[in-house]
Amino acid sequence: MAVADGDADRIAADQIDAVDERALRRLAEIYDELDPVPPGMVERLQFAVTLEALNAEVAQLQWVEPELTGARTDDLGATEVQTVTFTSESLTTMITITPSGLDEVRVDGWAAPGGGVSVELRVAGGRLQVTADADGRFVFEDVPRGLAQFVLRAPPGDRHPPVVTPSIDL
Amino acid sequence: MIGAEQRPDTLAARAGALFSAYRDGDEHRMGELIALLTPILWHTVRAQRLDREAAEDVLQTTWLTLVRSAESIADSRAVLQWLLVTARREAWRVSRQADRVEPQDFDSDVIATSPDLVPEQVLRDAELGQLWHHVRQLPERCRRLLRVIAFADRPDYAAVAEALGMPVGSIGPTRGRCLAKLRAQLAADPAWEM
Repeated sequence: MAVADGDADRIAADQIDAVDERALRRLAEIYDELDPVPPGMVERLQFAVTLEALNAEVAQLQWVEPELTGARTDDLGATEVQTVTFTSESLTTMITITPSGLDEVRVDGWAAPGGGVSVELRVAGGRLQVTADADGRFVFEDVPRGLAQFVLRAPPGDRHPPVVTPSIDL
Repeated sequence: MIGAEQRPDTLAARAGALFSAYRDGDEHRMGELIALLTPILWHTVRAQRLDREAAEDVLQTTWLTLVRSAESIADSRAVLQWLLVTARREAWRVSRQADRVEPQDFDSDVIATSPDLVPEQVLRDAELGQLWHHVRQLPERCRRLLRVIAFADRPDYAAVAEALGMPVGSIGPTRGRCLAKLRAQLAADPAWEM
């Protein structure tokens, strides 16, 4: 439709109203559908920023039971025990994951050298924190399933940088 | 909050509050800030014709720059604008480099990854298809602006447009040219429910 110049000026000079806002909200839906944010990108950005902010050492995911490879494992066997090892320059961490409920798992870990290391587990709903015993062993009970990431910090007085693991699917 | 001025609960205000808490030592808030602002930043960068992979790289650079310069940002309430400006400049820098390496090849990536040429029939929702039909007729400059504005809240429109390098008055609190064009088209479309 041709809009006369005067009309166009008047429409442009009017306050934005609820009809405009609704059109813009629907436009956001279109762009979400046609060009969605890549899956996992938010988590990748958060990980990159965590590393930068902590000035941390990155642990490599060293070895994984076959069922746990790949980004997502939606069909984990109900009683299956999974073991993952992370290595970094200053620390090796072995994690064993055992189902403990419908949507929870128990995480047993062993960090070496890890006596007194503080272990933080970042999960979707928040952060869990434990301290490893003198042998470097630690346990998290009833952890909700989903993406999780470990941050290990040396005991006070030890100057090693924190170690951050990539996210794994519990 | 003692002494805090009354602020609308807009995207920019929520972002400012999270960033301010982060700077006060609550490091967890940064993850929330990233989750909150990733959609608007994604569309800001993608509107600059970067492919999806390059766009993700630009966003990573943008966030790392924020963490590194967190202390030097004068007003934490303006963190959304700061991020938009940073992302836009970085996207521009990256696309200019890409242009220098190989001339724009219109058969490949850019078109394949830009949604602006997708026909409205692709959208399953009829109303969305109708809206898209009108949006596609807007000049590219307007599509870029509205694409980003669509992810903000009304009181933030003017600040967002300014951060995108648009002249004052482009949008908010009045419609400005681009939104007015769209509004006129929608008003003339009997099938669009006002």
